[in-house]
Amino acid sequence: MRIASGGVSDVGRVRSNNEDCYKIVEPLNLYVLSDGMGGEAHGEIASAMAVETVVKHCLDFETNPAATIIGAVQPNWSPWTKRLSTAVHLANKNIFKSAEQNPDQHGMGATLTAVWINGTKLSIAHVGDSRAYLLRGGTLLQLTRDHSLVAEQVRRGILTSAEAEESDMQSVLLRALGAQAEIEVDAEEHTLFPRDALLLCSDGLTRMVTEPELAGTLQAETDPTRAAEKLIEMANERGGPDNITIVIVRLEKESKGWFSWLRRRAPKNQGTNGNAGGN
Amino acid sequence: MPKLSLMFDNKIVKEVPVGSRPVTIGRSPDNDIPVDNLAVSNHHAKIYYEAGRMVIEDLDSLNGTFVNDLRVERATLHDGDNIHIGKHKIKVDTSGDAPLAWDTGRKVVAPRIDETMVLDTKERRQMLQQAAAMGESMQFAGARMKVPTLIVLSGSTDQKEYVLTNKLTVIGKSAMATVKLKGWFKPQMAAQINQRDDGFYLGPGDKVPTVNGNPVSGPVRLNDGDLVEVSGVRLNFIVRE
Repeated sequence: MRIASGGVSDVGRVRSNNEDCYKIVEPLNLYVLSDGMGGEAHGEIASAMAVETVVKHCLDFETNPAATIIGAVQPNWSPWTKRLSTAVHLANKNIFKSAEQNPDQHGMGATLTAVWINGTKLSIAHVGDSRAYLLRGGTLLQLTRDHSLVAEQVRRGILTSAEAEESDMQSVLLRALGAQAEIEVDAEEHTLFPRDALLLCSDGLTRMVTEPELAGTLQAETDPTRAAEKLIEMANERGGPDNITIVIVRLEKESKGWFSWLRRRAPKNQGTNGNAGGN
Repeated sequence: MPKLSLMFDNKIVKEVPVGSRPVTIGRSPDNDIPVDNLAVSNHHAKIYYEAGRMVIEDLDSLNGTFVNDLRVERATLHDGDNIHIGKHKIKVDTSGDAPLAWDTGRKVVAPRIDETMVLDTKERRQMLQQAAAMGESMQFAGARMKVPTLIVLSGSTDQKEYVLTNKLTVIGKSAMATVKLKGWFKPQMAAQINQRDDGFYLGPGDKVPTVNGNPVSGPVRLNDGDLVEVSGVRLNFIVRE
């Protein structure tokens, strides 16, 4: 599959600093997004640290594939999913340690949502309330669960999703990187289909733009960067109260004819034991 | 959900559910229960949940708030209590499921709500315990596992029923599909089901599925017992306990 991607981060219309951070690592097909929190400039430090740690650990996969796995992993996960999940645990440790050593950084933290595409397998790791969506067949599917108090209340049937959107407790997270020495990371694998599109975004987008609008924009504008810019414009037109960060990844069918993508191995970075799996 | 019924002359004038946010009562129109009567203060009283109990608080009103004919400044409300404000009566119904309570008076939980924050371990534990306790006390099912299942009623598939365990379930001919359709001319991905916080949503793929006969163009939440039809296959969505 051919992959096109683009990302944009915007400070919004209200805040003076951008605590969001993202990175696209094209040779790996790795996409990482983080939304930092904490006073002064510490949110920026936390989100940058989160993204850097995850990217570095995944980049090192080729040179040091046997690095210790941290946290709970499922035996049937691909090596990439295990690696990505470990990377997020590492990011948590780094932020937590830094905040312990520097008292002024106390309370800093970050969300993290990362996807890694290897062949037709999508690995995803997630902590916090940034989101990953999959647009498939015109339908937007949410791949992550928000680790926020209101989302937990919806899951337990205490609030309806409409009430959750109105709640003034939306910013209260139950899980974030840097808050505790050990955390639980949501990691999963999915199989991708040609023409799937992925959207990673910080809550600055999802609180201002509805899901039908996200789906519509992704369908109407196929250039990833231009679609991201359009969505940021929409969030800003509605007040832009928070930083907005968007990464869009589109999987395009290679025009070689039917099912060629099934036979094909992903062109880049399969690693030494490069079996894309699933086929 | 618990509710308050505003009565006048023994007739229900208005019903207001009590959710996670306080319900305000007063003469000013910005109240949740506006009472247009000179004996009522602009912001007369508010009712909210605190630690699982419904509480009424008088907001320093001129003529007072009465619960079962006793003047109160702050009182816990019980099912069937009568609140008198001016000439109006408000009947309390706490029979529904209570929302998770927020101690609105204490600002420890959310000092600055526009800033993202994480609950530290202790707060988080308390919060979740509170939520769990409520889930259990209110709906017996809280502890029981709910297993969403698709049962094949007719059509050619590789299994007779499917337990939905993944966030994404694809229905189609594709090797990656969970619900595999068999036969010629079946689409690779006919439809898909996404597990979200509040349930399972069916969305179209290469085909437009129907739920109880209605075509599905965007994600539609599935309810227990729904009949799903796609690409010649009829499926029953059932949530088992």
